[in-house]
Amino acid sequence: MNPYVVWNRQVAALALKELKQLWRDRGLFAFVVYVFTVNIILAAGGVSFELNHVPVVVNDDDRSEASRDLAYRFQPPYFSVLGEISDPKQALQMLDREQARVLLEIPNDFGETLREGSRPATVQLLVDASHANSGYLAASYAASIAGKFGAEWSQRNLAREGINVSAIPRVENRIRLWHNADLNEPWFHTIAELTTMMTVVCILLPAAALVREKERGTIEQLLVSPLSPLQVMLAKIIAMEVVMLAGVAVALFGIMQPMYHVPMKGSLTLLFALTAIFAFTNAGLGLTAATFARNSGQTGLLILLIVMPIVTLSGTWTPLESMPGWLQTVMTLSPLRHFVDIVYSILLRGAGMGVLWQSVLAMIALGAVLFALGLVRFRRQFT
Amino acid sequence: MKLSRIAAVAHKELREILRDRIYLALAFLMPPLLMIVFGYGMSQDIENVALAIVDEDGSAMSRDYARHFMESRNFAYRGHLRTAEDADRVLANGRIKVVLIIPQHFAERLMQGQGTSVQTFVDGSFTTIARTVRSYVDAMNSAYNTGLAARYLSARIGMAQSRAAVLIQPVRIEVRYLYNQEARSIWSTAPSLMMFVLMLVVPLLTSLSVVREKESGAIYNVYASTISRSEFIVGKLLPAIAIASLNACVLWVIATQYFGAPFKGSAPLLALGTLLFITCAAGFGLVISFLVRTQQTAIIVATILGSLLAMQYSGIMTPISSMTGATRAIAYAFPPMYFEDVIKGTFMKGVGMRVLWPQLLFLMGFGVLVLAVAYALFRKRIRA
Repeated sequence: MNPYVVWNRQVAALALKELKQLWRDRGLFAFVVYVFTVNIILAAGGVSFELNHVPVVVNDDDRSEASRDLAYRFQPPYFSVLGEISDPKQALQMLDREQARVLLEIPNDFGETLREGSRPATVQLLVDASHANSGYLAASYAASIAGKFGAEWSQRNLAREGINVSAIPRVENRIRLWHNADLNEPWFHTIAELTTMMTVVCILLPAAALVREKERGTIEQLLVSPLSPLQVMLAKIIAMEVVMLAGVAVALFGIMQPMYHVPMKGSLTLLFALTAIFAFTNAGLGLTAATFARNSGQTGLLILLIVMPIVTLSGTWTPLESMPGWLQTVMTLSPLRHFVDIVYSILLRGAGMGVLWQSVLAMIALGAVLFALGLVRFRRQFT
Repeated sequence: MKLSRIAAVAHKELREILRDRIYLALAFLMPPLLMIVFGYGMSQDIENVALAIVDEDGSAMSRDYARHFMESRNFAYRGHLRTAEDADRVLANGRIKVVLIIPQHFAERLMQGQGTSVQTFVDGSFTTIARTVRSYVDAMNSAYNTGLAARYLSARIGMAQSRAAVLIQPVRIEVRYLYNQEARSIWSTAPSLMMFVLMLVVPLLTSLSVVREKESGAIYNVYASTISRSEFIVGKLLPAIAIASLNACVLWVIATQYFGAPFKGSAPLLALGTLLFITCAAGFGLVISFLVRTQQTAIIVATILGSLLAMQYSGIMTPISSMTGATRAIAYAFPPMYFEDVIKGTFMKGVGMRVLWPQLLFLMGFGVLVLAVAYALFRKRIRA
């Protein structure tokens, strides 16, 4: 028989063995199922950065029509007014206990100043910024409420002065959101979670498979068999690829599309092909880790140590732009950083190879290095 | 309970940790590493968003308008594009997040006193960035308009610019950020990360400690020995609590010194809260440890539960007041939310026992409960 055919059949037989072993390892198998199903659903409903019923208390010293009108505009879904208080001390206590997160203070000359129009009518907003991001959003939404309110008064006052309001030059900035026009949170969260978990699975599975052989001593049997280290490695990677692609398919077509209507604008063939390459690049990392560990417990911990920084700093969850420059440079070495661009671009932005080739090349180059590293470590330890 | 037996278990436990290089790394390297990684990774300060500009007008006024955006520290200017069609292309691969498009006749129409419109394309795939960028653009545009109108009124009617500005924008809102004066994201995330890191690492430590003995068979020695169930549990807990306390100190130093988060409140109060929280987390890990059989499963279960509870049900990402229904109920049922309150209270708010006693009481109650569950689950018999 042709030696290549034999070689390939040996790898296939070994890959099949790996799949059977994964199926029998109930804990690990359950984890893989969880990761591509329940976990995605949890992520979709989990964290929201939109303002949602921020509790507001109002201290209205003015009690004029204007002040009531302004306070009334703090409405759900962004804000919800808990009520009025007259004692600022009480308000501060409520802020301390997080019963309220915003205090709107309207001074007693608010309405009058507004009518007079010779100096700005000032209101004060005290925002709990112990939550920096939502504090900032609350302040800026409040500013835009006050801005609209002010604009209406401005028109009245200008008309009273006999100025033609429509003649005043004005720039209108029309903001158009691309790729996710309604800022649908589950789209973002499910994609971010999926790429995160793809990274975990494609590092964990080959590593777990290798360390299992070590624990049970079956690695000795593989060494005396006519298989090369490359074949042993490839079989583990191929088995993981099968699981991984199946998992991604389940997550995409079983959950993300039917439940959250995540768009799939680009070519899915391209997406799956690049997913396979991405998985390959990370497999080298997992196998390298496994060569350093003695048992599955150690492998698990090592992988946590490797995966956490990769997943957190590759721009999956938070914008890379907000990280310091040196860290951004370091993270260009992470295959995930390029893969995140690829997944978003294909699914949401409908991009093809024409725009993506740079990211793809970077990912492949990094993957080749990692894979070579894994092979070298593996050879050194087992032959 | 006999002290000498507890000490024996604790001593054995410590030596095991010190001998296993990887376990040692988990105990002492992982917490500071995670703290620093997440400190950078969870930052929500949205600055330097990649911006491109299409200026089809090319007038002095359009350049002035564009300059407002180019010079803002919120945006990182990456260059001009020639046509609006180019905007499609650059937004497609995600390297540019915002494109400002100023159409022809921009200046002309403004000079004639007409309204004119420009467009901003924002990449919405990253929802957090998009939402914040939208508010940046709104704020910058309305500031520009106020200036424009004030100049117009003073030129046309001879009104003083300051008075004109009041006419155009009669309401001023003075925002004061409480507890975190500059609304710096890292000042609020770094302290919370103490909770996150401890919730991740401490259950891992204890969940592995019993399972390891199950895997190696050493647990049979425990079954056969005279040690009582409570002695064994306390002996397992003490080293974990000691290591975690040491780590908590290191994390506190990283939060305040490396990330510069201000600490306003009482250190003994935080220490008490931390100790209670660590006990809860360690007990939680022990419960996992008694329920699973392999280290691999223990790691998976502890990591998933720990990170879920610490991330999604603690209020560090979404404030509790914005949560609804089941999410809120889960948050109220587990320790992370309460410890998060203690952290916020001592770091940023400087409040004392008078505000935080319910939180401490809950942590104590949960600690007792979880240890009772661990005690009930641990049998010195082989399960049939």
